[in-house]
Amino acid sequence: MNRQEFEQKNSAEWQTFEVELKSVDKNEDLSSAASIPSKFRKICYDLSLAQYRMFGARICDRLNTLAIQGYRSIHRSKGAFGEGFLIFFLRTFPQAFRRDWKLFVVSSFIFWVPFFLMWWSAHREIAWIQSLLGPESMNSLEGMYGKNANTVEHLRQEHGSNFEMFAHYIQNNVGIDFQLYGGGILFGLGTIFYLFFNGLHIGATVGYIDYAGDPEKLWRFVAGHSSFELLGMIVVGMAGLRLGFSLVAPGNYPRGKALARAGRRSLPLLLGGASMTTFAAVIEGFWSAQPITASTKYFVGIIFWVLHLLYFTVVGRRGYGA
Amino acid sequence: MAIPARRIDTLQTVELAEGIEIHLRVAGPYLRFLAWFIDLLSKGALIAVYALLIGMTGPVFGDNVASGFFLLGYFLIVWFYHVLFEVSKSGATLGKKAMGLRVVNEAGGPVTMGQSMIRNFIRFFEMIIPIVPFLAFFHPRFQRLGDLAAGTLVVYSRARLDPMMPGPTSLNSVPVNITLTREEEAAILAFRDRSGGWSQGRQAELGNHLVSITGMDDTKGVNQVLGMANWLEARR
Repeated sequence: MNRQEFEQKNSAEWQTFEVELKSVDKNEDLSSAASIPSKFRKICYDLSLAQYRMFGARICDRLNTLAIQGYRSIHRSKGAFGEGFLIFFLRTFPQAFRRDWKLFVVSSFIFWVPFFLMWWSAHREIAWIQSLLGPESMNSLEGMYGKNANTVEHLRQEHGSNFEMFAHYIQNNVGIDFQLYGGGILFGLGTIFYLFFNGLHIGATVGYIDYAGDPEKLWRFVAGHSSFELLGMIVVGMAGLRLGFSLVAPGNYPRGKALARAGRRSLPLLLGGASMTTFAAVIEGFWSAQPITASTKYFVGIIFWVLHLLYFTVVGRRGYGA
Repeated sequence: MAIPARRIDTLQTVELAEGIEIHLRVAGPYLRFLAWFIDLLSKGALIAVYALLIGMTGPVFGDNVASGFFLLGYFLIVWFYHVLFEVSKSGATLGKKAMGLRVVNEAGGPVTMGQSMIRNFIRFFEMIIPIVPFLAFFHPRFQRLGDLAAGTLVVYSRARLDPMMPGPTSLNSVPVNITLTREEEAAILAFRDRSGGWSQGRQAELGNHLVSITGMDDTKGVNQVLGMANWLEARR
């Protein structure tokens, strides 16, 4: 069969496939949907034949375009959102966390060491913290957590300020998560920088309030969301470090391949960690500043830390990974 | 990554589970840079319009709520402008649509939300050292670091710009005396299928590469090549 015969014999079929595919894609006419896969297989067959016999670019291009369109349409994922959501949080995410537990240790160290160093330095040499925070933030910290300051609960009385703060935490904290992750591409240096800097800054804040303000006001405020916020950041840090390590130590793969593998492997950590930070923003916006007794708040905070420990060690032990 | 041998086109071959090979037309860094720039402008415009809207409706909700809505919208535009467009049916941001490009996975299929997040979040840091995105020039599939990590490609979505113009049908059939590889046969057939769009000078220039097997140059050589194409096709 030469090229003209081939085209004459099949061109009507190709035309039908193109028209039917378009109408199915647009949900206009679904009557032909059931026959699309078998017609797609015929297109694949024709394409390989045309390529093998070198029927020329015109025919091959046409079939190539049809094959790509068919592939896109057939493989478009429309999984049930709710089910995917459950599988992710009950299985994929905790499993991904355990698989990379060593990175959790590294990421935690990079955050907690500067945190405790700065806090500790408050009692030894306050000048370190003073130079890190600067007069403006020290002033505002004293306004919120100072010995004579109104409580955060009081500041949040104004209409809509809970919502505003929620939005602020989303924009700021989840944004920092994404930066932490993207920074991993600079051989992990970006991730390390943000983790370390956050450790320094948060440690300095705690240290300064411990030194000059009323720490109980701070603990009461942060207890509820602390586990979600800090662990969420550390988990996203793991994802960024995974990217960075794949470039520093690619193992048996070329760097490009190693990076692609690291991308796939880090994705659950990024999505999970960012979800934790998002949830932290909800708590921080709508619960942490509620006028509730300190003991209740501490209790809730401790419960959340314990639940995190259980979640990451126990959940999703059975069942296959995604 | 294996560097593909030198070829007569820039098509990238991908093998699908269906047992076929499809060819993706991978887009180069220049158009992608233009698309990125258009997106930068549209993001700025979106933020400005959104701020105006909030500014006008703000007094209804109260200042705090309005500023909360602004922060949420700002967050969405900055981080998810590219992501939401790329997972849509067209697979392209406004800039990519304007340039006729789209983002696909390495098998030519649609990208997932996660893939799009990876490739776009990494871009923020590739931009810190502005040379880094241009390293894509040296990659055979023009993938930048974010594309490598996400497993994505940017391809042309529009039909090819240079339509095929077959040359005049040659009446003679010239046998080829040496064994040609498939790639070489394809080159000769492609010469016939495209030569109609070239000037005579250009045809001669390309035809002269084959002097060693045609034995003639310029117009005569071109006729020989066209004859060979006839012979090759009639043989199969």
